[in-house]
Amino acid sequence: MSQQTLAEKVGVTRQTIIAIEKDKYSPSLEVAFKISDVFQEPLENIFKYK
Amino acid sequence: MDMSYKEKSLLASLGATLLLFGWYLYGAFSSLPLNPELPGFLEFIILIVGFVILEAMIQSFLAIKNKSQLEDERDKLIEKTSSRYSYGFLVVCIWVSMIQILLDARFDNHLMLTTPYGMFHFLLLFFVLSEVIRFATQLCHYRKGV
Repeated sequence: MSQQTLAEKVGVTRQTIIAIEKDKYSPSLEVAFKISDVFQEPLENIFKYK
Repeated sequence: MDMSYKEKSLLASLGATLLLFGWYLYGAFSSLPLNPELPGFLEFIILIVGFVILEAMIQSFLAIKNKSQLEDERDKLIEKTSSRYSYGFLVVCIWVSMIQILLDARFDNHLMLTTPYGMFHFLLLFFVLSEVIRFATQLCHYRKGV
């Protein structure tokens, strides 16, 4: 899935998806749950707390 | 460089602010020591009208060029964080101005800052600088993360 498609499904900009991937931005719980919902994966499989 | 609509818009606002207000304030502060009571009302109105027209033109152009003008939670967080820096700077400047006026009244110094024309331009300078800080810190947060 492209960053643009994910961004559109989650309702954020592509730059925000890039920032999340690069660990430059921690998304809100709402966005995190939306991302896990798009991938049909539990939250802990997508995000890790450092 | 991959920039979002918001970043391009900020960069344009920063450029327009620096260009127009920089030009105006440079002229005003150059003539201030020579003529501290010079009224700058007409020039100021021209500046404001010019700034509004330039900003409207640039922002309209950017809106046409960019399909999505979506503003998400990251944009709002960056805006909020940058506004804090800008507000802090403005508060310090206002306090400095107030102390300056108080000292001037107490010791009868009659410095450039306390003439109406001087005071107006110093306050305008502080306001413009706080706006520049707001735009610059937002751009910085977009690049380095927040």
